[in-house]
Amino acid sequence: MKREVLLKAGLAAGLAALLVWGGLPLYRHRHFDLPIVEGPGVSGVVRLKAYSPGLAGTMADTAVFVLRGREPGGKAILLGDTHANEPEGLLATLIFIENAVVDKGTLYIIPVFNNSASRNTRPGDGYPLYFEVPTDWGSVRFRMGNRDASPLDQWPDPDVYIHYPERQLLSYIDIRNVNRTWPGRPGGPLMERVTYGAMEIMRREKVDVAVDMHGAETMFPVTNCIVAPERSVKIATLAALTVKAAEGFEDHVEPSPAGFRGLSHREIGDHSGTMPFLLEAPIPFLDQPTGPKTTKLLMDGKDPFLLSLAGKKKLFVPYDAAGWSMERRVGQHCSVVLEILRQFSRKNPDKAVVIRGVPRYADIVKHGVGHYFSDPAKADAEKVVRN
Amino acid sequence: MTAVMIAYYVLSAFLLALLGANFVREKKSRNDLVLYLLVMIPLILRLLRVK
Repeated sequence: MKREVLLKAGLAAGLAALLVWGGLPLYRHRHFDLPIVEGPGVSGVVRLKAYSPGLAGTMADTAVFVLRGREPGGKAILLGDTHANEPEGLLATLIFIENAVVDKGTLYIIPVFNNSASRNTRPGDGYPLYFEVPTDWGSVRFRMGNRDASPLDQWPDPDVYIHYPERQLLSYIDIRNVNRTWPGRPGGPLMERVTYGAMEIMRREKVDVAVDMHGAETMFPVTNCIVAPERSVKIATLAALTVKAAEGFEDHVEPSPAGFRGLSHREIGDHSGTMPFLLEAPIPFLDQPTGPKTTKLLMDGKDPFLLSLAGKKKLFVPYDAAGWSMERRVGQHCSVVLEILRQFSRKNPDKAVVIRGVPRYADIVKHGVGHYFSDPAKADAEKVVRN
Repeated sequence: MTAVMIAYYVLSAFLLALLGANFVREKKSRNDLVLYLLVMIPLILRLLRVK
């Protein structure tokens, strides 16, 4: 009897130790807040719950940075971390928040659009919990998130996800993917409340342009591109041609399929007056046939298996030993956003959005992403937002 | 937290209690003891809202 009790107590203690050892890093990751320093152009910060009250008190609520220009003009919204395992969108939005000065118009920026997913991870794929970006004053630590929201915030998943309002049948897991839950509804599942909040910003504030920034596998055909519906395709084409001619990088235009529902580039245009664009930069980290999913692979995009596949012409982007670095991916996003806004402003001078202070592709490749980040320890505490 | 989510938490707690009772009652098989504990892990992590 005593031996049995001792055995059970020992096993239970082992379980407790295993739970602490495995659970504590996950708990810390979920509660790790990223300090974001407000740049000279930031005129206010609101929470998304102001536009979607159903987000109040949830992990899906997130910061919305507002950069109002000196002169009235058009309005644009930038989204990062729609998929929180594609951090080039997050880093590009942070460069805008910390550096952009708006001369004309207004910019709304949501750097961590799926806040819940950014606090989730994919241990089965061996994802790192964090990654670091070197800066001129040290390094900044970021949460490495997942594509989908945490089941801690939205659970259970249905057998089949029925999209609202089109009733298209989608994969069960996409009910936690904010790029399948557009346009959302105020009382729907949590991720629908997130997209509803962004739609409300666009509808209430009469936003003209929306840019949703992503990364995509090099083996996926929709990569290194601007996805645009019919109403946005002219501006997207002009932006793609201009960056190719002036800055020397490829970023082709892909049409937004009308029959595939729930995506930002489709639903934003169909449910508001806003012109949507979705940017995809190639991110080798997401490809399946790679080596270990390390932070090095995330940052430099160098992988011998992809290099071999490139030699067999199996990739949809040019790929060599230089890889596809974070600097290139973030630089592409910054340049393409600036170009979309410039082309839109040329066509609509009464709704122009004029921005300065944001580096372009060549600057970011040369100086690195971290060069454009400020040290939160040295910033005015009131100017640091933790998200 | 939605009603269906609360129901799933109650379900998890119920399953955890069943496994705990089986763990306490088990007299012979060491393998079964380990198995009960392993099955408890995701339920405990969910109830503690860790993962």
